[in-house]
Amino acid sequence: MHFALSKVDLIDAFAVWRRNSRVYLRLWKTELIAPVIEPIFTFFAFGFGVGALVTSKINGLSYLSFVGAGVLAFTVLMRAVFEMTYGAYFRMVYQSTYDAILATPVNAESLAFGEILWAVTKGIIDTLFILPLVIIFGSATSAFTPLAILPLTFGCLFLGSLALGLTAHIFEIDHFNIFFALFFSTIFLCGAWFPVELLPGWLQIIAYILPTTAVIDLTRACLNGNFAFRHIYETVYLLVVSFVLLNWALRSIRKRMVV
Amino acid sequence: MNFAIEAKNLLKNFGDFRAVDGISFNVRRGETFAILGENGAGKSTTMRMIACRSPLSDGELFVEGFNIKKDEREIRSIIGIVPQENNLDPDLNVRENLLVYSRYFRLEQEFAIRRTEELLDFIRLAKKADAKVDALSGGMKRRLIIARALLHKPKILLLDEPTTGLDPNVRQEIWEKLEELRRAENLTIVLSTHYMDEAEKLCQRLLVMAHGKIIADGIPRDLIYEKVKRYALEVREADALPLQKTNANFIAVKRGTAHLYFAENADQLTLLMQNYGSRPMLLRPSNLEDVFLRLLDTQVF
Repeated sequence: MHFALSKVDLIDAFAVWRRNSRVYLRLWKTELIAPVIEPIFTFFAFGFGVGALVTSKINGLSYLSFVGAGVLAFTVLMRAVFEMTYGAYFRMVYQSTYDAILATPVNAESLAFGEILWAVTKGIIDTLFILPLVIIFGSATSAFTPLAILPLTFGCLFLGSLALGLTAHIFEIDHFNIFFALFFSTIFLCGAWFPVELLPGWLQIIAYILPTTAVIDLTRACLNGNFAFRHIYETVYLLVVSFVLLNWALRSIRKRMVV
Repeated sequence: MNFAIEAKNLLKNFGDFRAVDGISFNVRRGETFAILGENGAGKSTTMRMIACRSPLSDGELFVEGFNIKKDEREIRSIIGIVPQENNLDPDLNVRENLLVYSRYFRLEQEFAIRRTEELLDFIRLAKKADAKVDALSGGMKRRLIIARALLHKPKILLLDEPTTGLDPNVRQEIWEKLEELRRAENLTIVLSTHYMDEAEKLCQRLLVMAHGKIIADGIPRDLIYEKVKRYALEVREADALPLQKTNANFIAVKRGTAHLYFAENADQLTLLMQNYGSRPMLLRPSNLEDVFLRLLDTQVF
């Protein structure tokens, strides 16, 4: 077996990453404000709105404490997904930025890796700005809170890779609609807004197969400090899925760009 | 090793479609070499293969002695590519387009900054350095793309239809820049084009492709003398009149509503003019376009 990842040159990938960061820094005000506004209102809606109706505790947590991980993960993961769908598609098709980059020593794998690395970076930047909100709203009570960056980083890596791999297979921008319909539907299953255990049995199975469930559960554990044995295999599962999808994304970009 | 590019039996299939059908050619160092052909003849695919963007289905390709199948990185770092379509980065300004691009070649920052200013002067865009790319005219964008391809001082410059869709004065300007580069930097230039005047003006040697095959190659002048005669007479709106028969003195060809005659001696053609009265006529030296159309006429596919 031969991994696409082995063809990545980190210096080249970093050059691609720097191109994106340069554009980001030019637009940082708009880039930053949007992802912060949304979670504030999500907190109001779910934490106070829905939360007021939920009187029961969830595994000993108030609903506001429970839902914080969902708000955080949802916002951050969305960011990585948008970057690797619409963002990547624009650069690949409308702006031909990928073509320009592939006219240099940078190969397709390094290009794709740099792009995914950038999506993950954007997720981390958002995490850093949203975490204080989570703390202010009272959803993070544990000293392990900063560790939430780790599951979210791998969440962005796996979803960013999945999204870029799909982008490489898409020839009409409207086809993203199907992907987003699926993505938003699954987010409802993955324990962001209510515990997975409340779902019917067969839906629970689907929920546990979706790696997003692991991301949200691990994030929640970091925010609340309630670690359990299942978090170990959730971590392993997330790492394996990230690795597989990353390789797939790299291969897909080569197949799309080098023909 | 005297050749900048050596291609042996290059073959490219896309599924059942054979885009390039076993072509062989060499490009000498420091020359300007053109690949001519109609749309779909296989020019762009050949260019993409040299640029390491399209793996060979079969055959061998060496660029400055490097084997395309093994030394992709080396090849990519000694060629500069000017694509057919504008792919400048609209998210960056003119200067940033060069600076950011220089990182992909791992140019030292100090050198990259110096080289950027030098190239902005060369393409006369120094005053527009901070402008957005979208604010540039078509010709300025083209010049900037050429500058971008020169950042790393490549040995070979590949241009895919460099002047398609440009105004005549801009085309002239691009041609001058290319000629200047070839002379000053001893750059090998390979361009694909379907403009015969472009090839004739710029190239030392060329090859003509049709349906993935090479149908002619050589020096433009020689090709003209070899494939058509020295002079051409073009008569327009001649469809109502009979075409004179080809004989030892001239070749006669019907093209649409026009009659064309080729002869070694212009006097032979002046004689023919008498048959056409006041029809619009042009007596001129033959050109590559004549060669190209003759080749397509006589080619059987």
